[in-house]
This record gives sequence, structure tokens and C-alpha cells, in this order.
Amino acid sequence: MPKVTYIESNGTEHTVDVAEGENVMRGALYNGIPGIEGECGGACSCATCHVYIAPAWWEKVGAPENEAETELLEGAAAPVKAESRLSCQIEVTSQLDGLVVHMPETQY
Amino acid sequence: MSDQTFKDYVQDPANPVPPNLPNQPASAGLPSHVPPELVVTQWPLNTQEFLAAPYQFMADMHNNYPPVYYGLDPVRSSWGLLKHADCLHVLRNADTFRNLEAVPFPRDKENYFFFIPQEIDPPHHRKYRNIVDPLFSPAGIKKLEGKIRGRVNELIDQFIDDGECEFTLAFGRTLPVSIFLDIMGLPQDMLFTFASWGDEMIHGGSPEVSGAALAKAVEYLTGAIEEKKRNPDDGVISLIAHAEIDGRKISDKEAFGFVCFLFLGGLDTVYATLNNIWAWLAQNPDRVQEIIDRPDTDIDKIIEELLRRFSVVQASTRFVMKDIEIGGVQIKAGDRVNTLLPVANFDPDVFPDPLTVDFDRPRKTTLAFTVGVHSCMGGHLARMEVKTALQEWLRRIPKFSIKPGEKIEYKAGGVIGPDKVPLVW
Repeated sequence: MPKVTYIESNGTEHTVDVAEGENVMRGALYNGIPGIEGECGGACSCATCHVYIAPAWWEKVGAPENEAETELLEGAAAPVKAESRLSCQIEVTSQLDGLVVHMPETQY
Repeated sequence: MSDQTFKDYVQDPANPVPPNLPNQPASAGLPSHVPPELVVTQWPLNTQEFLAAPYQFMADMHNNYPPVYYGLDPVRSSWGLLKHADCLHVLRNADTFRNLEAVPFPRDKENYFFFIPQEIDPPHHRKYRNIVDPLFSPAGIKKLEGKIRGRVNELIDQFIDDGECEFTLAFGRTLPVSIFLDIMGLPQDMLFTFASWGDEMIHGGSPEVSGAALAKAVEYLTGAIEEKKRNPDDGVISLIAHAEIDGRKISDKEAFGFVCFLFLGGLDTVYATLNNIWAWLAQNPDRVQEIIDRPDTDIDKIIEELLRRFSVVQASTRFVMKDIEIGGVQIKAGDRVNTLLPVANFDPDVFPDPLTVDFDRPRKTTLAFTVGVHSCMGGHLARMEVKTALQEWLRRIPKFSIKPGEKIEYKAGGVIGPDKVPLVW
């Protein structure tokens, strides 16, 4: 199973297994990792699963593919950067094994 | 009840005891912290004026009501919040605004149970969501798409040649009940029984009729849980009946409260949503054509906008645990606040020209399914039902209208929807 590392804004790291086909947001929720809310459940309608992709993974993860994610990110609570993504829109695959994401200070 | 009672309350789902929250009946007089100019003497979303044109009324509330008002009630007076930002704040701060006693359903205080996960707050809430979330997540619901689409077509088969139907009964009621039975692992031959329970609960006309229907449903579901304990399958009732919480087996009361809540939560809401949308489509043939002409990839944003414009759950209520200011108004521990969800979806500061159905609106957080930890777990299922229904209906019945001589009327209730939608094509 692919591993994903979630790093809280205070530096605390959580490395967990996330099943292929699940998304990065759910990987955090299922494992009780604080820092991602994912309140809409992955419908791309809330911007509360905002993460920053670690530089080594920018290319593999890529930029938002749909307009809705780009529009929602504009309303995210924490500063939006070039490496910002909504983690519900990132599907976990074997290519993303080892993915590292940083979580913002707040999702609200 | 003293303040001490609710402030010291610790929720233990394994040993459910009633929280005994204080009420503020109108007869007790206005609490001293409530400014008289913010008082509203009647629940706004049941008045004749509201029922005449519910969505227009709710959009107009942003001009006619204080953004934070105090609504008097014979049993349980409460604050009403209209602004999008205020509603998000309340729904996203589950420690200050709790969901205890969220379901207005009378229970035996000596043999109490919680409706799960609705009435379970953090830190326990997520444990229950994790049991069923894999099934109700976008990926889980996607697996049901073929089945739901097939069911939509079977229903249309039954009336398409008639050239007419009464939509709420023929489709609005039947589709969600049928899918509910599938997901729960219950037989389709219960369809008409469940549909009539649903109808009696909503349109029963008296608390006795509604209560009797609910009692029958509860008895049936209790039996179904016992049956699934003996004979597990891959339905949700079985999943819940065999679940573990914190390493212990789920209790009978927990399983019961969970299954019952899914029944209560899932039927009315999709029903009313479909009825509202179809009533609008039938009166707006140019918009129907627009939906047909748009590329398939626009379907998600079409659904999101329809859900914003035709949100059906009037309000989500929270119990206030500590003194706090909202929109410049002092709210005290022990008060209740209602987030008026459809009204917040018409907040002109967030959704300009709010009554216009604009599929190209920039995507913003909507409150159709609320937000925060308690946001609707069935949201993706609801979206899939509306999406497949819309796609298949417009493919097969692209031109339809309200039956001549009939008009759309709304009845009072916590879920907003037309009483009947007679269609012809």
C-alpha cells in the first residue's frame, strides 16, 4: 500500500498507509490525523482539505485539473501558494508512494 | 436545569444518558441579553407568506430580517442566523456549538439512545463516520452509479407511455426509497411499504398518523438489525450491526440509533430536492434545453448550483456551550442557534443575484449539506441520485411541463418542497 506523510503546521509528521484509489484527504481522516477537515467529503465544494505539496512531489502531483478546485482554492482560509492543492482531488496511486504533504495552520 | 448540568455533560456513546439541556420557552419572558429589536415572534419558514413562494421569501429575508434575530417559540426559542459567514462559523466550531438533542424525536429518558452520527459530537463522531464513509464517499457511491441509473430508467419505464405522471409519488418518492433499500441490504419488495411509511410520516396530516408510520418503520428496522446480526451481508445494516467502536462491539442501542437515523435522514431530503428541481425544470423549458446542450462535463456544476438554489433543509440547530458574539450580537451559553441553510445560500455577499440559476457561478462553499464535522454523510449519494435522474429523464423526456390547470403548492414542514408536481409531456 502506498505511504503518505502528512506534516502538521507545527512540524509533527504522520506517515500512514493509504489504499490505492483513495484520495489524500481520506487518508488523513481515516487515520485520525489532525489538520485536514474534508468537511464536504470530497465533493470539491468546501476547500477544507487544503495542503501544500512538498517540492519533490510537485511534478508528479501536478496542478489542479478542474476549474472548481482552482476557484475553491481562492477561498481557502490559509495562504494559497503555487503548491496548494485540495487533497480530496489527489488520488493515491503507486506512483505517489512516499508522497509528502504539508498541512496549513487552519482550514477555516 | 442549572448551567452546571450541561456544561459538565460528558457524552459517552456506550452509556447514553440524556443531556437535559435547558429550554427557553417564550412564556419565560425575554432573556435579559436579547435586544427587543431583534425579536421575531414566529418561525419565519412556516408562515403563509413563506409557503406562497418559499425561495423568494428566503432571498428577501436578507432585506427584511435582522441578520441575527431571536425567534420566540412556545417550547424552545432560538437565534436565527441568515449570513453565510455566521452559519459557517457555527457549523465549523463543534466544541462551542454542539449537536446534542439534534433530532426532535421523543425518547424514553430512562432508556435513552442517540441518533448516530448526528447527535454524536467530537471526539467520538468520526469513529462512527469511519464505519460507513467508505460506502458513502465519492468512490463508494461511484460504484453504485450503474445500479442507480438502472433504477431511474426502470421507474421512467413505468409511466413514460402515459404521457403524464404525478412526479412526487411516481419518481420523487420511489427513487430514494428504492436506493435506500438496496444500500441498507433490504429487499425491494418492501418498496411500497417503505414509500407509504414515508408518505404518512410527511403528509400524514396529524402527529398520530406520522407517529404510527414511524413506529412501524422503527419496528421493522429493529427486526432487520437482529436478522443481519445472524446473517451478515454487504449492506449497511449488516456493516453497522457488526461494527466495532474503540475495540468493542457496537451496542444494540448504537446500531439502532445509527440505522434509524439513516432512515430519517435520507428519504425526505432527496424526495424534496427532486420535487423542487423538477417543478422548476417543468416551468423553464429554455433552461432544460440549456442543460441538454451543455457538454457532459458540466453536469457536476449544474448539480451543485441546483442544490444551492433549491436547498431543502430549513435549518440546522446547535446548542451554545459558552458566551460568544455573532454578527455583533451577544449570544449566551444555554441558547440555541439555527443556521438557516437555504437563506445562507442566498446571501448576496457570497452569491450575487442569488435566485438566478447560474451554472457558471464561481464555486463557493454552499450549505445544502451543511459544513463542519456534521456535514451530511449522504451528500454524495444525493448528488448521484439527482445527477442520474436528471441525465436519464432529459434523455428520455426532454420536453415536459406542469399539467394544465394544476399549480405548485407548498406545505408546512422542516423540509421545503412542493406537495404535488403533476407533469405532462
